Amino acid sequence: MAILVKLDDLLHARRMTLTELAERVGITIVNLSILKTGKARAIRFSTLEAICAALACQPGDILEYLPDTAEEAQAA
Amino acid sequence: MPHSYSAALPIARVVLRVLIVLNWLFAVAVLILLFVMPHEHWLMVSLRLSPGAEATRILWGMRAIAVIGLLTIPLYHLILTRLLAMVGTVREGDPFVLGNAARLQAIAWVLIALQLLGIVIAIIVRMISSPAHPINISAGPSIAGLLAILLTFVLARVFAEGARMRDDLEGTV
Repeated sequence: MAILVKLDDLLHARRMTLTELAERVGITIVNLSILKTGKARAIRFSTLEAICAALACQPGDILEYLPDTAEEAQAA
Repeated sequence: MPHSYSAALPIARVVLRVLIVLNWLFAVAVLILLFVMPHEHWLMVSLRLSPGAEATRILWGMRAIAVIGLLTIPLYHLILTRLLAMVGTVREGDPFVLGNAARLQAIAWVLIALQLLGIVIAIIVRMISSPAHPINISAGPSIAGLLAILLTFVLARVFAEGARMRDDLEGTV
């Protein structure tokens, strides 16, 4: 997956645990773990909005595009 | 997810199980018929035929129809067991799986085979039927049958797409 989820870094910077974030955004810790480990296929805008509000950040702070291969990077 | 109760599923399960048993009973009946058929005298009497070329033609035609009837047994069994499996997935609350798409696809191909066998039976009936001894077996392609094939192929695609969408939804946070 070319999209990197930087939730771990953000949580570390905010000194917040995944459990705390789960409580604040109202998403199960299992789903947040799926997102954090990059196993999610899609993210709802409502989830993104809730996480951004809880961590006082922008979507770009959570997600980053990293091309998988050199060709993909050239195409981009 | 809340589920509204429907009697359709329990009824479908029972009906399908009964039909599976009836299908095999039909197979036994056809087999018995095939064993009885060599005793031409019995058949001649029951069909009110007098010995001759026409009687022989009719008897061979009836044998061929019985053999084709026997061929349809595993085909119907495949349809019924696939449908029963699909009902099972609905009961388990997970019908949009690729397995059901494959089941519907298989059912559609079997329905085509049944239509073709129906055409063969219709040809045999046409060949052996005569004004003196009309054979009334309704067989051959039907609009309803062709529509069922089309519908099943479309449903197979719908289930395949549904399974893909469900996969996506499961991975959505």
